[in-house]
Amino acid sequence: MNKKIAGPLAWFFLGATLLFLYILPAHSAVEVMTVLGEEAPPGFDPVTGKRVIPTVRCLKCHGDESEQTDVDDDGNEIEIYIPPHKFEDSVHGKRRCAECHANITRVPHRQEPEVVVGCIECHRQTWDANKDKPDNEFKRLGVVIEQIEKYQDSVHARPEDEDDPSVLNAGCYDCHDAHNIGTLGSHQRDEHRLENPEVCGECHRKQRNKYKKSVHGKAVMEDGDSEAAVCSDCHTMHEIDSPEGDKVMLQITTNCGNCHEESRQTYRSSYHGQVNKLGYTHTAKCYDCHGGHNVLAIKDPASAVHEENRLETCRQCHEDAPEGFIGFHPHGNANDFEKYPVMWITAKFMQALIIGILAFFWVHVMLWFYREYQDRKAGKSFAHPKPGDDTVYIRRFTATWRWIHLLFAVSTMILVLSGTTLLFSHTAWASFVMDMLGGPKVEAILHRTAATIWLSVFLVHFFIAMTNIVRNRKTFRWFGPSSMVPNLQDLRDVGAMFSWFFGRRERPSFDRFSYWQKFDYWAPFWGAAVIGFSGLMLFIPTLTASFLPGWVFNIATIVHAEEALLATMFLFTVHFFNSHFRPDRFPMSTIMFTGAVPLEEFKFEHRLEYERLKESGELEKMLVKPPSRTMEKGSQALAAVLIFAGLGLLTLVFIGYMTMPG
Amino acid sequence: MSRERHIIILALLALLPITALAESPTAAALSYTCAGCHGTDGSSVGPSSPSIAGMDPEIFIDAMQDYKVDKRNATIMNRIAKAYSDEQIKGMAWYFAKQKLELLPQSTDTQLVELGTTLHDKYCEKCHEEGGRSGDTGTLAGQWMPYLDYAMEDFIAGRRDYPRKMKRKVDAAIKAEGEQAMPALIHYYGSQHNSAQKEASHE
Repeated sequence: MNKKIAGPLAWFFLGATLLFLYILPAHSAVEVMTVLGEEAPPGFDPVTGKRVIPTVRCLKCHGDESEQTDVDDDGNEIEIYIPPHKFEDSVHGKRRCAECHANITRVPHRQEPEVVVGCIECHRQTWDANKDKPDNEFKRLGVVIEQIEKYQDSVHARPEDEDDPSVLNAGCYDCHDAHNIGTLGSHQRDEHRLENPEVCGECHRKQRNKYKKSVHGKAVMEDGDSEAAVCSDCHTMHEIDSPEGDKVMLQITTNCGNCHEESRQTYRSSYHGQVNKLGYTHTAKCYDCHGGHNVLAIKDPASAVHEENRLETCRQCHEDAPEGFIGFHPHGNANDFEKYPVMWITAKFMQALIIGILAFFWVHVMLWFYREYQDRKAGKSFAHPKPGDDTVYIRRFTATWRWIHLLFAVSTMILVLSGTTLLFSHTAWASFVMDMLGGPKVEAILHRTAATIWLSVFLVHFFIAMTNIVRNRKTFRWFGPSSMVPNLQDLRDVGAMFSWFFGRRERPSFDRFSYWQKFDYWAPFWGAAVIGFSGLMLFIPTLTASFLPGWVFNIATIVHAEEALLATMFLFTVHFFNSHFRPDRFPMSTIMFTGAVPLEEFKFEHRLEYERLKESGELEKMLVKPPSRTMEKGSQALAAVLIFAGLGLLTLVFIGYMTMPG
Repeated sequence: MSRERHIIILALLALLPITALAESPTAAALSYTCAGCHGTDGSSVGPSSPSIAGMDPEIFIDAMQDYKVDKRNATIMNRIAKAYSDEQIKGMAWYFAKQKLELLPQSTDTQLVELGTTLHDKYCEKCHEEGGRSGDTGTLAGQWMPYLDYAMEDFIAGRRDYPRKMKRKVDAAIKAEGEQAMPALIHYYGSQHNSAQKEASHE
């Protein structure tokens, strides 16, 4: 032998022998079982050596329709029949019986089949092994896994008796007929829906009997309509819990709307539904008025919401509800002209008002910004006083007016926050704010307290203004410069401002109050009347409904909300711009907080008043020292806080408005 | 000796099958010793020894284990069974389960066969599927009739574990047809050698 190749050849021979005889077999995927050189016979698993019992063998006894019962060891008759076609059609139809009834290893079986089959374990294992497979064969199993998790948190998965954790309130097979589980869209699904009331009713007898007489129950149990609501449609399939808890109450209310979608939407735009949407359950829910298991059609004279019975139903919560309550539309829809024409007209009017006013003032704001910016760049403006300057100031607002403005501003912001939290109950921020406030009951107190302050301030102001006018009745000029009453000059000023905006003339001069300041002033009058009056009606519904029809609540709700939206959007855009954000004032003006304005600025903004005062010699008397440093800094901080709060609220309102359902 | 030769001898040693070093003979080798009574590969030619070819392995194990502890009436099998380990019994069970059942014709009474057919269908078919062919309840079709006779006697006399369900069915059959019931069933199974064999060869 050639020595050169003999060595490597011998090594190759040894290597190949070891590889094929010892290394490869040890790494082969599955090892076949042998006993003394004997492999398992047919009918036995070659790897585990265990018997494989085909389903057909089990169905020999269990699939015999003519012999559906057997006798157990104690002589009791037991049901043993599994309808073969149902099982074969079911999602488990390809599985062998003994895969679930794992204690059965021989046929005929020597022991009772374990009824406790490991549904959860098997589904989880199958999911874990197959969830990453690219084809969608096991996609549906993911849903099963989700449902398992929900079930495990449910009341059904808790032990019936605390001392014996082995017996649960309900296991999988108490509800599921494991031998007849349909795939999505299969005939079994419809069958199961129709059987659902009986399956649940096995334990929940009382509820089943009530349900049977309901509009849902009759459709399902008498007419065989599998589309009508069954237990699981309202109570969910696996997330079952005691209906005493908030979670379930909210869930059921939501679930009613899965079929009654429009009713859910209109409910959610009412106070009852807004509170509910925010996660609180003390207001009326679907079943509080319509009945739960025993829900009947509204036209059914026995229905709790039939016209004859409605007042009594309202009185479950509104104990002293007068007749007028009957006229309220709990599902009133401002978009439905046919059914609710007055609501529709009111809503459209309010929307037109909002659009009209905001359109005018936003255009006004934009043009003003452009022109003032150009003027400022051209040096056609006043200079802001620098710290340390010996600037002369003039008194513009007395302490009373400043306090009134501050109280007004703060209470308005509280009203906006608490009110829009309800109005925009569909937003995530609303739930958060409501929880922070301490719930709708606290929110109601807060809103009403702020409203009372707001109205009081309004009335105090009105009283002072009137007293002043009466005191000076001999000299007071209704259309004079100190009066807030609009006059012809205001109209001319509007024209003059627009001419200036378009560069056709110089900036107009104003007397004590410009037209936009007058608008700012009169807007709350209209607001106070509309928001205040509608708010008051909703505040004391029992009194309101004792002399007004119930539908005024629907109107009041629309008017209150729309007017509040208008006020919010006007104040935090137009008013903020006019007073703080325009180039001459940016980033803020503190005149309303210090009460004093630098003479230069005053001269620029209110030239007519300045000249008038100078001529009459009154000007000297009105000159004041600059506000103290503390006053100036404090005012700036206060203004900043209010401005940021206002912009924050504006953002929340904007989010709410843009995401409003329907 | 050269180094290459050492390596080649090492490789040849590695080639030796491991089973050559095993302590117990193979299941097949053990099973050959049963041929004296149960026939070549378990197809018996003597009417008192049952055929065990194609026998369900778990039934085989049950029988051997019962003989081992004297739970089942025996002539000689109890002595034989005691000598085998559990592993050896299982190995033989698997060996015989795979053997083809060769049957010899037996003379049967036509009338009894007819009655037996009815009785089997009504009382026995669910467990002893397909006319009692080899399956998870043992081999009845084509089995030696004298053996079946002894076996049933043992069951009825309480000399062998009598499954509850089986007793119920046998009692019902006897109640329905009296003393004729057992011979009828035995003649029926004895008449089945053709169909049983046909199916067996088919496999």
